[in-house]
Amino acid sequence: MKMTKIYEGNYQWIMYGRDPNKPDKIIDTNQYVVRTANRCLLIDPGGVELFAPMLAAVLHHAPVDEITDLFASHQDPDIISSLGLWDQALPHAKLHAAGLWEGFLRHFGCDSIQYVPIQDNGGVINLGSVELQIIPAHYLHSSANFNIYDPQAKILFSGDIGAALESPDAPVFVDNFDAHIEKMRYFHQRWMPSNQAKRAWVERVRSLDIDILAPQHGRMFKGNDVKRFLDWFESLQVGIAV
Amino acid sequence: MHVSQHKSQFVAVASIAAELSAVMEVAKEISLAAANAKAIAFRAGEKAKGFQPITDFINELAKETIELVNNINEHALKLYRLTVIEYRMSEACRRFESVAVRSANATYATTLKQSLDNARQRRNDCQRQFARHVSELLAQLADVMHPARAARVIAANSRIEASQAGEYLQSLQAVAESVDNAAQIIHDKVHKCRSALSVINTDE
Repeated sequence: MKMTKIYEGNYQWIMYGRDPNKPDKIIDTNQYVVRTANRCLLIDPGGVELFAPMLAAVLHHAPVDEITDLFASHQDPDIISSLGLWDQALPHAKLHAAGLWEGFLRHFGCDSIQYVPIQDNGGVINLGSVELQIIPAHYLHSSANFNIYDPQAKILFSGDIGAALESPDAPVFVDNFDAHIEKMRYFHQRWMPSNQAKRAWVERVRSLDIDILAPQHGRMFKGNDVKRFLDWFESLQVGIAV
Repeated sequence: MHVSQHKSQFVAVASIAAELSAVMEVAKEISLAAANAKAIAFRAGEKAKGFQPITDFINELAKETIELVNNINEHALKLYRLTVIEYRMSEACRRFESVAVRSANATYATTLKQSLDNARQRRNDCQRQFARHVSELLAQLADVMHPARAARVIAANSRIEASQAGEYLQSLQAVAESVDNAAQIIHDKVHKCRSALSVINTDE
């Protein structure tokens, strides 16, 4: 699995993805890790099939007992169907996920991990030396859906917003925004149901200082491409299936 | 344990639950037949005097069967839960072993050992508990066979008593017939449960 360090300060952000051994018919995903001196947060740790390569990759950066927190942006299987395995591997960890999804997510197996329900208006994830903001992104696409914003690293983990379906060897950053648009268009129009939710999210996110917008599929956006993405998304009609 | 073995374990436990639910229905039918027989015997009076204590006996057997099946159902439910946990533990072991292979050169590779050991321990505990529950369930199923066998003997006696009940002969014979059929069905269902369990036993 490819590992890309996207922030290096007193702590690190690492992106994991482009697993060459991923079974063909499952969607490729990006996983993110925030590594502090003695804690580790896994952001959208992935599906069951990805558990072994993901944990093996994380063990390059953190020991098992320092993987203390998991975050699930929403309830989809590619986000968190590995929960039952993390539950066995990290019995003392916390899962930060929507309160609304608790009864559903527990179907994946959550006996030992502490479920920390996120309220609709978001919250924070405190990793001791680092505090991350949980930003509501409801209906984009899931009914209870959250992003993570790190004001120090200026990274917004945006979940499915900004996602694109790419080949497994695609670069990790967008290098030609115009060429990238067609890889995102249908995904956003079909998966995102609400123009109202989209406008509210864009307005909220415009007020954040963002260097990197990091989605759960496809390439990340940095620098001016973040604004380009927000402008493009704002003008896009979504919810096209009805 | 392999995936196909888990599959057969899930199927076996589910089929036991299905058979038990059928046994319960049949036991309830016997209970109803007993009440029906009692009413007929009451109307027949002296002519069905020998039949009256038999109806009480049939009712007792039905009650006993229902109680036994209730207990067995609880056991089968535990077996199902254990199957789910054991499946999850086996999956965890398999995936953790895969992590160990993949992370052989990782800085913190050895830190997974505790989780792997714990998962193996829990999986082995589950397998032991499962084997114990299967043995207990087999014994309980053997217990259900007893009232079913007794019901068949009673059905034979009922036929003899019915033959002396004059105009009530047909009604009481029908009762004896239905008890006999029900007992046979219970016997067959329980036999299927035991067969399903023995499939799991060979998987150990």
